[in-house]
Amino acid sequence: MAAKSSLLKVILLGDGGVGKSSLMNRYVSDKFDAHLFHTIGVEFLNKELEVDGRRVTLQIWDTAGQERFRSLRTPFYRGSDCCLLTFGVDDAQSFLNLGHWRKEFAYYADVKEPDSFPFIILGNKIDVVERQVTTEEVQRWCCDNGGHPYFETSAKDATNVAEAFEEAARRVLALEDRQAHVMPSDVVDLRRKPRSSSRCCL
Amino acid sequence: MAATTPPKIIFEHEGVFIHSNTEESEDQESLISGFLRIIDKDGETFVEYKPLEDTVDLSNMLCACKDSSSVVEWTQRPHRPLDQQLSCETEWDMVNTVSFKRKVHTNGEGGSNHFNERNKWAFSFNVSELRTVTVKHEGWSYLIFCLRDDATLPAIHFHQGGSQGFLDGLRKSVHLSESPDDKNILVVCTYNKAISQSFENLLDDSNYGLVQKFKKDPYTTTLGGFSKVTNYIFDAFRPSESEYQQRPDEEVADLLGELIPGLEINQQEEPGFEVITRVDLGTRPEVQRREPVMMEDWAKHQDSEGRVSNVPHLKQLIFKGGLCHALRKEAWKFLLSYYPWDSTHEERKNLQKRKTDEYFRMKLQWKSVSEEQEKRNSRLRDYKSLIEKDVNRTDRNNKFYEGLDNPGLILLHDILMTYCMYDFDLGYVQGMSDLLSPILFVMENEVDAFWCFVSFMDHMHENFEEQMQGMKTQLIQLSTLLRLLDLAFWNYLEAQDSGYLYFCFRWLLIRFKRELCFQDVLRLWEVMWTGLPCQNFHLLVCCAILDSEKQKIMDRHYGFNEILKHINELSMKLDIEEILIKSEAIYMQLKNCKDLPHSVSEILGLNTITESSTLETSEYSVLESPQISPRSAHRQDQAYSNGHGLLQETSHNTCKVGFIS
Repeated sequence: MAAKSSLLKVILLGDGGVGKSSLMNRYVSDKFDAHLFHTIGVEFLNKELEVDGRRVTLQIWDTAGQERFRSLRTPFYRGSDCCLLTFGVDDAQSFLNLGHWRKEFAYYADVKEPDSFPFIILGNKIDVVERQVTTEEVQRWCCDNGGHPYFETSAKDATNVAEAFEEAARRVLALEDRQAHVMPSDVVDLRRKPRSSSRCCL
Repeated sequence: MAATTPPKIIFEHEGVFIHSNTEESEDQESLISGFLRIIDKDGETFVEYKPLEDTVDLSNMLCACKDSSSVVEWTQRPHRPLDQQLSCETEWDMVNTVSFKRKVHTNGEGGSNHFNERNKWAFSFNVSELRTVTVKHEGWSYLIFCLRDDATLPAIHFHQGGSQGFLDGLRKSVHLSESPDDKNILVVCTYNKAISQSFENLLDDSNYGLVQKFKKDPYTTTLGGFSKVTNYIFDAFRPSESEYQQRPDEEVADLLGELIPGLEINQQEEPGFEVITRVDLGTRPEVQRREPVMMEDWAKHQDSEGRVSNVPHLKQLIFKGGLCHALRKEAWKFLLSYYPWDSTHEERKNLQKRKTDEYFRMKLQWKSVSEEQEKRNSRLRDYKSLIEKDVNRTDRNNKFYEGLDNPGLILLHDILMTYCMYDFDLGYVQGMSDLLSPILFVMENEVDAFWCFVSFMDHMHENFEEQMQGMKTQLIQLSTLLRLLDLAFWNYLEAQDSGYLYFCFRWLLIRFKRELCFQDVLRLWEVMWTGLPCQNFHLLVCCAILDSEKQKIMDRHYGFNEILKHINELSMKLDIEEILIKSEAIYMQLKNCKDLPHSVSEILGLNTITESSTLETSEYSVLESPQISPRSAHRQDQAYSNGHGLLQETSHNTCKVGFIS
């Protein structure tokens, strides 16, 4: 069991232009392009990493943020192990929309208990001088909404990016361990998809 | 008509398998690959299975057996307890976890001997002798036929999908209903072709509403055997067993399928769907591209007052070679219907003046919105905010848009904002900046670029609307085309939960803008804007690209995620001339096909009334028949284009929606 590399599906959600693709590219390829095309449709990249001695493959899904594309985006929420709710610290509206994103994800991913689902909040673009959202505001929001961990990131400067994704992996593994303990070993947990190493690609 | 009409193939599927137990050990099986057919012989329907010769190889899926002296052997028995069958693995996972090894036949003397060995597995029976079909799933589906004399034939395994298609084909001849004792067993109730066929006709535009209406309609209750009929219909709508399996990819696929309900109906619920009949498409002809149209070619097509003459010929030249870059600024205005082809220099000057006034009137509208007003107009605020963000990340490596405060960026922004005023209901949707950027790059003029963009958006509008109906329509149409062109690949995609072709979303939404390098986008778009050689040519472009990728996708056994990733990563690796050659060749192949299914000819606009199809044909063959007099060609042009360019020209096609989407 421990030797097997798990595939963890992580999905980045948030308003258009907050830097979802940039965060993914910084983490997976350690590259940053301020003028990267906005995402059309859905894309994903894989990244292997080791957390606390366990090898996992993060499959990071990136989606188009505009409301119009909701119906073509939401089917991909299914099977996610962790959701990274992203906003831009220079964009107050994108912060205000976090609640909407959280709700949309919980609904379409069919999450029964959103409060115990591993959401992680990312405030991106901290390299920008004109902030519209303060750290305290976000922390308060996180506190009021189930105590999700919060990371202030910069895809541009690579600040906190790896830390955030690693935390995502750690949270998922911890949750699985907890569930494994709670459940008798001969009961198959139907809510979780089995980890199949043959499914991870490229 | 002679009584002995040649047998007609109703359904054919290659890549089905019989698992034959070898004598040495019951744990070891070899796979006999073959094809399954439903054949109509003088009104009688037969099902036959024939093994493929070894030279044809077991299957391209397994790729294990290359010579006739070895057989592929399963080292692990694929039998699994029931709970495991319901696991989340895809069919290919199953296949991948089973290892194959070569085993040299020690007793086999030669190829022919071996072939005889294989040939003993062939069978054929009249469907009137069929008692039951048992449908089982073991990661893949397999069927067991039991005949009326209680003979049970070896199970036929559909490792490459297609069992549903076979059952649909079978339902054309017999009525299958679930056994009350075991839902995996389909019982052949009565051999009554007439009844089932009449209900297939009803189901032709199958949707649930129809079934509901059908249930309530008292007239139908007077029909004999009504209960059988309803069974028949509800069977057709019952999801197949495999859909109950909890697999994330499949769930995603199902959800996508719900979004595109027409697609699902097309694929599974429409028993009368013509493509089930295998159509011989003939060979794909050789196609040559030509040099781009040059300035002097263009000048030759203008009279002294500036009217463009012999437009069909000119369009044909553009279709075959595109335009040299210097010509684009002028020619695109005609291709995009901003300028009427038969307008004079004078008329165009006046038009431009009018359009300039109109543009700046709309531009002033958003320019004069005060901050206070903006605070109370959330839609405008949202459009503006997204346009600002997207303009900053559209083609920024192109000279025209690179660097800070590039005037190109400001124009891109202003035109998109003005378009919001032009069509506030639609506003700005991501992807639109991609469509505008090449046009602005070519026009180098705000007003001209705006109106050309408006015209392009007229065609692309449905793609961006709230319900994205244009996208759904196109995905259904593309699926229909692909199914005809390449049933094996289509079956493969379907087996991978990818039959709804979601991975083509970006291609279709912004017409390959992100897939090709900038110069190639210009070439592809001007070729498409000629409206030649048929409507929805861009769908054949999709088919051409998929045709080049299918081998890789199938050989590497790509699943749902890998297919999406592979297609996404084709971006900037495609060769436009190669693609256009193949797309045109596919068009020629379809056009020359005598029994093209109606659904396909409708998508391509090939089944138009005689008058217009003659026009279309003559337009397409103008280059090949240079003796056509300029005068008559000109008259022809006026007759159907009426000088209004692209939009008007398509109005003679029966399926206008398809084109606009």
